[in-house]
Amino acid sequence: MSTTPRLRNMRRPRLEGSGRVRRDPRAERLYCGEPAGETLSARGLPRRDPRAWYAAGPQANGRVRIDRSQRPGSASVAASAPLRAAEPALKTVVIAEPAFWVLAVPDLDDGRLSAHDRDVFGGARLLAADGGAVVAVCFGPAEGLDLAGADRVLQFDAAVFAGYAPEARAAAVAAVIATLDPRHVLLPDTPIGGGDLGRRLAAQLGETAAVRVQKLSAGEAIARGNGGRSDYHMAPPRLLLLAPEAADPLGGVRHEALALPVPELDTPTRLLDRGLLAIDPNSVPLAEADFICSAGNGVHDWSAFHAVAAALGATEGGSRMVCDAGLLPRHRQVGASGTLVDPRCYLAFGIAGAPQHLQGITRCERVIAVNTDLHAEMVKRADLAIVQDAQRVMPALTRLIEEKRHGA
Amino acid sequence: MALDIAVLVSVGRHPASARNRRAVLDARALELALNVPGANIHLIHAGDADEPALREYLGMGVERLSVLGVPAHADVLPVLVAHLKALRPALVLCGAAAEQGAGSGELPYRLAAALGMPIVPAVAGFELHGGRAQLAQALPRGRRRGVEAALPVLLSVDRAAPEPRQSAYARAQRGQIERIAVPAAPLWQPPGEEQPARKRPKRLKLISGSGAERMRAAQGAAASAGKGQLLVQPEPAAAAQAIYDYLLSEGILRG
Ligand SMILES: Cc1cc2nc3c(=O)[nH]c(=O)nc-3n(C[C@H](O)[C@H](O)[C@H](O)COP(=O)(O)OP(=O)(O)OC[C@H]3O[C@@H](n4cnc5c(N)ncnc54)[C@H](O)[C@@H]3O)c2cc1C
Ligand SMILES: Nc1ncnc2c1ncn2[C@@H]1O[C@H](COP(=O)(O)O)[C@@H](O)[C@H]1O
Repeated sequence: MSTTPRLRNMRRPRLEGSGRVRRDPRAERLYCGEPAGETLSARGLPRRDPRAWYAAGPQANGRVRIDRSQRPGSASVAASAPLRAAEPALKTVVIAEPAFWVLAVPDLDDGRLSAHDRDVFGGARLLAADGGAVVAVCFGPAEGLDLAGADRVLQFDAAVFAGYAPEARAAAVAAVIATLDPRHVLLPDTPIGGGDLGRRLAAQLGETAAVRVQKLSAGEAIARGNGGRSDYHMAPPRLLLLAPEAADPLGGVRHEALALPVPELDTPTRLLDRGLLAIDPNSVPLAEADFICSAGNGVHDWSAFHAVAAALGATEGGSRMVCDAGLLPRHRQVGASGTLVDPRCYLAFGIAGAPQHLQGITRCERVIAVNTDLHAEMVKRADLAIVQDAQRVMPALTRLIEEKRHGA
Repeated sequence: MALDIAVLVSVGRHPASARNRRAVLDARALELALNVPGANIHLIHAGDADEPALREYLGMGVERLSVLGVPAHADVLPVLVAHLKALRPALVLCGAAAEQGAGSGELPYRLAAALGMPIVPAVAGFELHGGRAQLAQALPRGRRRGVEAALPVLLSVDRAAPEPRQSAYARAQRGQIERIAVPAAPLWQPPGEEQPARKRPKRLKLISGSGAERMRAAQGAAASAGKGQLLVQPEPAAAAQAIYDYLLSEGILRG
């Protein structure tokens, strides 16, 4: 006797009603029998093949989505594979004859587009949506402008624009504004980057900029002011200084990023950049540190550790183990129960990379690990991993830096 | 000859109690000026001379505050420009942004443009030698940059500058407020429809995948997993060289 017809006619209350996607074991059982077709055992009883159901993989009806194999080549992996393969073939958007221009001036701190810079390009694309083209005005080389959403690129490479040169840069952007007459100019509102440059431009052009823009759409900019207590809703003016996350960065398309000819300029320079000043790196709070040299349980030679941190000019940090042991003060602890740090580079000596520790360095882009254990989590996380005794690497690194310093 | 320093101060507002007070950044600017030996400090405000919070600046140890009599929330640029043009200070100090009104931080730039002075923002400290100013500019991540400019120059001061000294009550009461009559100034117009600031949610990064993948992403491992460079048992010197080269190529160390 087959059970199937009876089940088929039964109401299945779990499937009706809430509309939520749930497993229904009876329906699954019912389903299992079907694809392979029922076979009869020697005694004439219906048998079902339990593997047939797993092999069928994820179901399109949106209900049964269980893949227990977890092996590559299983149905669910096969289903997501084409998505991954599609990534390199991005569509390129071509705007051959733009109706108008929108300028985006990224900070390019360290010569890279920051997340904030990408948001600015996202905002520029919003404002250029009806037939305009986005022109990136860059000082120095930049990568990834095509993915960020730049249709054209004006790259100023002259030495006067290098370092802190806001007056020269403002003159350059003002010259571009004079020639292209863009509908909008967008900058990231950072204190000594776009925020400085944008306010200089506003003063020079005699315009009022929308500053600390919290949210940008094609028809409205929401600026913040009054000591952070008020939002000003306005039609986007020409100059816009965007706070982080005011617009979403572009994704999934590429723009042309064609180089435009760069005008020759006569630029003023009343300010001289004297370079970075030497400061005691350990006077900087860990959360603000630029470069952290961190020690874990694998460090035994503490004088070598302090020496290498000093030679590198790095702020000292440590894992909870060393802070618990009193080898470093508590405010030097990096991690979930210590400080969440955001340095440009994190150099870890003898740190295993416990989850609580790694949570402290999630935002860190460059990680170097020195550890005797090839399989430590820290080694997996690192951009440069060195499997070696920290006690031998630290003095070697100190010596090398000192040699380079005296040699130069 | 004593050095003339103009310090522009505005009325601040406490973020929690909403009471008027000295503005924290302007107080820092005044603190920097007070630390210049032998300076002749001109404390200037454009607005209502009867505002009690203004006395807090006097309590920091200045004899006199000049108030250019315009209504509160007037456009103060023209009167300040006219006053400073007559005063010709060697140094003008401002806060980076006011705590009331627009507070857009544009005023220092407009002033500098109108006075033809260079402006340096985010100043954390300075020294004056032979008609030139050596400035320390605060960069993110606790770094400082040296900037040099010829006087006269306008500096705007941000949070990295030293803490201002306390304001002494008796001194604040003793200090003089000089009222200066100026031509009527137009009222400041808000740049758009004003609404109470709304807190905006942080953008969430959506990570899909198995539990293990999400855990790794939460630990930041996803970004760099598998693309790192690995050296197994190198000579210490080779390891040091590899670290050094990496730091140099990423611009962390300068060669
Ligand atoms: C609630 C809670 C919160 C926590 N919060 C934090 C936190 O905020 N921050 C934090 O750091 N931890 C935190 N921890 C602790 C965390 O789980 C780990 O115990 C700790 O991070 C381990 O520190 P470690 O890597 O220095 O030590 P270990 O785990 O002992 O690792 C030492 C590493 O050094 C390597 N090593 C040994 N000898 C050498 C050598 N000669 N040369 C090079 N490498 C060597 C080893 O291979 C090993 O990988 C927390 C734990 C809990 C339960
Ligand atoms: N009414 C005012 N009188 C004098 N100085 C002011 C006044 N308003 C603003 N300032 C100065 O200009 C800085 C920036 O102002 P704002 O551009 O309005 O954010 C403040 O920190 C003050 O130093």
